[in-house]
Amino acid sequence: MLQALRREVLLVAVAGLYLWAFVADSEGAVRALASGGRVFLSVVLIIVSVFGILGLFQVWVDKKKVAAHLGERAGLGTITLGAAFGTVLVGPVYVIFPLLFAIRAHGARWAVVTAILTAWAVKIPMVPLEVQFLGWRFSLARTVLTFIGAVVMGFLVEWLMTLGSPRILQATPNLIDAATGQEEQPVKGEPGAARIN
Amino acid sequence: MVTLVAAGYGLTRYRSVAKTHQAVTVARKSLLGMLPTFVAVFGLVGLFQVFVPPSLVERWLGAGGGPFSLLVGALLGSVAAGPPAGAFPIAGSLIQAGAWMPAVAAFIVSWVLVGVVSLPFEGRVFGWRYALTRNGMSFLLAMLIGLAMGLLV
Repeated sequence: MLQALRREVLLVAVAGLYLWAFVADSEGAVRALASGGRVFLSVVLIIVSVFGILGLFQVWVDKKKVAAHLGERAGLGTITLGAAFGTVLVGPVYVIFPLLFAIRAHGARWAVVTAILTAWAVKIPMVPLEVQFLGWRFSLARTVLTFIGAVVMGFLVEWLMTLGSPRILQATPNLIDAATGQEEQPVKGEPGAARIN
Repeated sequence: MVTLVAAGYGLTRYRSVAKTHQAVTVARKSLLGMLPTFVAVFGLVGLFQVFVPPSLVERWLGAGGGPFSLLVGALLGSVAAGPPAGAFPIAGSLIQAGAWMPAVAAFIVSWVLVGVVSLPFEGRVFGWRYALTRNGMSFLLAMLIGLAMGLLV
């Protein structure tokens, strides 16, 4: 129960706000509820589609295969490929971070890991929702800029990481196993695994 | 849109029926798992439209604020602990209320890239030096992207 409350902290907070609104200005609260509901109804089909795309990506993008590829070499090409991989990467933080750590443990450069992680913010499957609320020009510009930003960030963060004494990271098989095992979690429907970040 | 996605499912079904079922399951589970959050986000959008006066948005995120608005946008996005899908409806209401577009873009980018809430986890997985470096640089990137958006769009 407490865990459920913690997971839905946003919902609890918004419910609290509504409670307060009803006390302070019940008419306004009703208008707010109606207005939120209208916006929701206007995009409900798009939301369903977005999750349809997420499902397709999650199942058809072979994370392990790409991950194995990204560990091999690491020039600008690999980093760009990593960024491209990041844009179609789907999953919650606690699946993606360990997966990326596994890629890192396989010998991938910080640049590749960072490029994937940054491009993960592009969220190709979410673009329809973004277009609906902010327009396609906005969405296109943000997507392209974030992608370029991902490659630049890769080099920049790696440079910052190697300043001073470079840390040498050894491949720990246990962690790789743990990470790849976790990857299947969302399918099994663990409580929090259903969330897509 | 729905038709396109349905077509995608239809096409991939030819390659593997089992995998298509899996995709449907993943989609359904994620959608249901996200439902409380969506209810919260759209509830928030409603509250926002009724109770937050445009003058307030204008002052904190307006075009007049310039770099200040950009910073506020990026800060708001950093502490926001929601799924990325939630960022877009809220960003939409910010724009409607008169927020400066680059500030809103910085808000979205830092929402997805900078996670104050997930920072401890990132630190545990990658080490603190990496987590802090990446989040810090991402914060700057969010504002830079915002500025570039102002020039492009």
